[in-house]
Amino acid sequence: MIYPIIGLIIGIFLGLNMPISLPQEYVKLLSVALMAVLDSVLGGMRSAKEGNYDNQIFISGFFVNAFVATLLCYFGERLGIDLYFVGILAFGLRIFQNIAIIRRLYLGK
Amino acid sequence: MFYDKHAKILITIVCAILGVMLATQFRTNESRKANIPYQRAEDLSERLKVVEKERNQLLLEIQRLQEKASDEVVAREINMLKAYAGDTALHGPGVIVTVDDSKKVSKPGENQNLYLIHDDDLLRIINELRASGAEGIAINEERLIAVSEIRCAGPTLSVNNNRFAPPYVIRAIGDPKSLETALKMRGGVIETLKFWGIQVTVTQEENVVLPAFKGTHSFEYAKVGEGGKG
Repeated sequence: MIYPIIGLIIGIFLGLNMPISLPQEYVKLLSVALMAVLDSVLGGMRSAKEGNYDNQIFISGFFVNAFVATLLCYFGERLGIDLYFVGILAFGLRIFQNIAIIRRLYLGK
Repeated sequence: MFYDKHAKILITIVCAILGVMLATQFRTNESRKANIPYQRAEDLSERLKVVEKERNQLLLEIQRLQEKASDEVVAREINMLKAYAGDTALHGPGVIVTVDDSKKVSKPGENQNLYLIHDDDLLRIINELRASGAEGIAINEERLIAVSEIRCAGPTLSVNNNRFAPPYVIRAIGDPKSLETALKMRGGVIETLKFWGIQVTVTQEENVVLPAFKGTHSFEYAKVGEGGKG
């Protein structure tokens, strides 16, 4: 459990100290990608707890989810459809689902 | 544990990416809030609220004061109008002009009238004083008002139907400097009068006192208002 936390701290530290700032029009894309990534990480935690963790599935899920979510949001923006909300909603639901399962697993029920 | 060393590194990297994304999103959001247009709009709407509140309070205060002070306002207005009409004594900075007949002895064959003060001499002085911003004028102890006359009455002068003999003292309230310079202008009133030896002195005073008009105002023919059809 220590490695993810170390990674997270390093990442936040890097992100806060990076001189780049995101242009206004990409904020939505990043937020959707962020939700996807968060979902993937929680999914990974869940599968680890369930004992069927697979490294390849986790890594590919992480990147593909983030990428597809961003792509969807991008095209939605281009077409004038708010797919951004769809992404946020879907990943949000999954995040809560994952959290619920993890909680149950930790409680051992 | 259930994952090998390889997986640990990957998970660390993945979490680092997550952290970077989180931090970037956070920073972007913060900088957006700090953006000038955003801040400005917020600032302006805040100030608008404050100012509107202030305005409403002031409006209420105006209403309250109007209710309370309408009598006072009327009284003040009446006093002001009285002062304009000459019904009250006035005082303030101004000039005192003393005019006396000529001491020169007229040459034989010359018109002696030229060496005396006439009504039109005084009228010119008065006119000059008014032109240079005198706010109130009195001759001797007679206040000049809208219907005051200045005319010859034999060897004397009639002002407000009171007669005066020389010397005449003209008091005027106004800017002392401009009043004096207007009178002493080259080619002006005093220069002309001096030519005939008429004695004119102008002194600037800190406090000139004008008496109130002593007569009564009455209209015999005039009526107030436009009167409709001619």
